[in-house]
Amino acid sequence: MNEQAANRKIPIIKIRDFLIVSIQVDMHDRLAIELQAQILEELSQTGAKGVLIDISVLEMVDSFIGRMLSGMASMASIMDAAVVIVGMQPAVAITLVELGLEMPGVDTALNMENGIAMLEKRLESQNEFYNPNGA
Amino acid sequence: MTAAYAVKNLKQRVEKIENVLAAVAAGDKDARVNSQIEDDFSGVEFAIDLLIDDLTDELDQGEKTRKELEEKLATIQQQQQTIRQQQDDLLELSSPVTKVWDNVLILPVIGTLDSRRAQIMMENLLDKIVQTGCTYAILDITGVPTIDTQVANHLLKTVTAARLLGGECIISGISPAIAQTIVHLGIDLSAINTKATMQEAMKTAFLSNNHKSSELTHDEEESLREIK
Repeated sequence: MNEQAANRKIPIIKIRDFLIVSIQVDMHDRLAIELQAQILEELSQTGAKGVLIDISVLEMVDSFIGRMLSGMASMASIMDAAVVIVGMQPAVAITLVELGLEMPGVDTALNMENGIAMLEKRLESQNEFYNPNGA
Repeated sequence: MTAAYAVKNLKQRVEKIENVLAAVAAGDKDARVNSQIEDDFSGVEFAIDLLIDDLTDELDQGEKTRKELEEKLATIQQQQQTIRQQQDDLLELSSPVTKVWDNVLILPVIGTLDSRRAQIMMENLLDKIVQTGCTYAILDITGVPTIDTQVANHLLKTVTAARLLGGECIISGISPAIAQTIVHLGIDLSAINTKATMQEAMKTAFLSNNHKSSELTHDEEESLREIK
């Protein structure tokens, strides 16, 4: 049972140019490291331009996960992709700020819709030939 | 024989005194020896009665004081509860977060900020941002006379936390005194969007809104034109 839980992976969904990662289980450190590797792997395979990480159901984010998320953003930006953290809960935000993890350089959005709009806008400004319909 | 004659029924009388004392000890304040006989022993009986009188008086007095004190305590407790409730109400009232436009929240802060109030304000604002899904929050501190390091720190924390949620905070209405304090304290507010007046802040928020969503309703266009 324990092994099963440990082996369960967080699904990464590719939609158009974005990868959508919805974290719906409690994050433990190993899972976080695995997820990081998994996302980067997927990025290189699909050539996606942005990653949306939805943490709206996460009720607790410790310093490790916080660091993982901000590290994720820097790594992805080296790979020419933007990371947007979506739907952080107020309590989590307060905790992170109290911990001094202000995550500079990480983009955040209130919800998935805003996050996608943000990424699209960024891609548009980066590349005039960008067509959001992927055609 | 004369000594026996001077004190009549000594045994019964001592027994009576004993009984009376026992009754008083058990709580009967009306028990007295009340001897009708006048002789050498009646002085003792009389003295005991007097003592019992004094004692019961003291007891009554004590009882009365205790009751008064209890009443006072109850009043004070009630008053304290009222004060606490009013404090809570005040805290609740003191951070009204209102949605003034699509995507724009406003939080006018009035009065002196202490850490507790700043904390509650922060929680309220963040909750509201998530509830309404508004991206812009204007923190208007026109009504705040002075701030200290701790409160400035709280403001910074609020702005950072709002940014983590995906919101954006604009602080408006920083008075000259506060500006001086902030600079003297060495607090770096450069990372934060600050505007002189609430009007300016709202304009900024509206215009950014405008850039964000290309389609505006007719009403919005009208009002934006008015603002410009």
